[in-house]
Amino acid sequence: MLRVKVDDPGSDAALMAEFAAREERAAGTLFDRFASRIYGLGVVMLGNHQAAQDLVQDTFVKLWRTAERYDPQRGRLETWVLLTARSLAIDSLRRRVLESRSLQAIGVQPEDDPEPLPDERAAVADLSARARRAMSVLSPEQRSALELAYFGGRTTAEVAALEGIPQGTVKTRIRAALLRLRDEMAKDADHDV
Amino acid sequence: MTCDEVRELLPEHLLGTLEGPEDLEVRRHLRGCSACREERMKLEDGVATLSRAVHDREPPADLRGRVLRTLDEEWEDAGRSPAATQRSRDRSPWRAVAAAAVVVLIAASVAYGATQAHRASVATADATSYTSLLTTLGGKEFSIGQLHPTGGSSFDGRVLVYEGDASKGWSSWAIVFVKSPGYSGDATATLIGTDGQALALPPLRVSDGEAHTWLVTGDDLSGYDRLTITTPDGTVVATGAIHPA
Repeated sequence: MLRVKVDDPGSDAALMAEFAAREERAAGTLFDRFASRIYGLGVVMLGNHQAAQDLVQDTFVKLWRTAERYDPQRGRLETWVLLTARSLAIDSLRRRVLESRSLQAIGVQPEDDPEPLPDERAAVADLSARARRAMSVLSPEQRSALELAYFGGRTTAEVAALEGIPQGTVKTRIRAALLRLRDEMAKDADHDV
Repeated sequence: MTCDEVRELLPEHLLGTLEGPEDLEVRRHLRGCSACREERMKLEDGVATLSRAVHDREPPADLRGRVLRTLDEEWEDAGRSPAATQRSRDRSPWRAVAAAAVVVLIAASVAYGATQAHRASVATADATSYTSLLTTLGGKEFSIGQLHPTGGSSFDGRVLVYEGDASKGWSSWAIVFVKSPGYSGDATATLIGTDGQALALPPLRVSDGEAHTWLVTGDDLSGYDRLTITTPDGTVVATGAIHPA
């Protein structure tokens, strides 16, 4: 009898197959694993909690509609989910810009988002503080390139144009930033042992 | 494309900003280069770290219910409730499969000892329902699962798990039937437990698009709630949850 350790990719593929087959338990598992990070992404990128909740809902619907396309050979489920959410958040930001321009074109001022409540401001400030701590290991140049690529969905050519630096340098900075973050996480794990 | 060229493009590939032809080249290279796949995994660790640090925030308590309700509506719109469909579809064909499973299991049981063979032969006389089977066999539980294809494969199938009673020396069995039109070769059926433990069955020898495999064991199989089918290159081609019958 052969006993083997299950790799995450296989488990994730199985989970997504069950999600594709409309297993509510799989949907619940996915929500418990990823909702907090999708919601946090919405708060950071879209700036308010209602939009962040809508982002979570839209992301899970999109994940279900594309679940059969998930291929663990092409990357981790975690990355796939986060980039799906990020892509939807960028679409939402683009729609806002277009709506804002349309309203301005016909002379109507767009309504501002409601003023965030004090606890919302505190929560976002807390997020920012955590972000600063985690990102503090990166050089300003690495951080800037990574933020533009990750949160802004910018290509390296676009980041290069915005920053006024060669495209190869952007690629190097993003790669170095991701590897540095990964190494910092590994150090933390070592300290915990 | 060389490894150096691929590694330079990996961050863009990972962040989804690489254009079609180059992205295709990177994917092709990754399929055949474990060193570059390892590099991609490291970068994915970086993205995970970034996401946990920058945007991990507990959503409102009612959001889970809202999202699950939305998915229910989505599933309803896409067709009948799959669970209901599955139950109605399962009613009669599965009994035939179960009866066939018992017949196959008898072969294993005969070799396993006279007592096992006796219990199994009694089972064939009364295979009309899981309850009566269970009563007859004296085990703890029957569990079944429907296997669904993954990644566009043509595999599907079923799994039947019989939980014996180790305290009385009664074995547990698992049997898997698969269909995969157009595929010939080996595949592996693996039971997966809630704690991540895995138990591989003997290889499936797929011939003419069909195969089955089984195991008889003194181990407890009650902790396994999922089964996956993988091809020799490690690709998961089918999977399914296992539920008490």
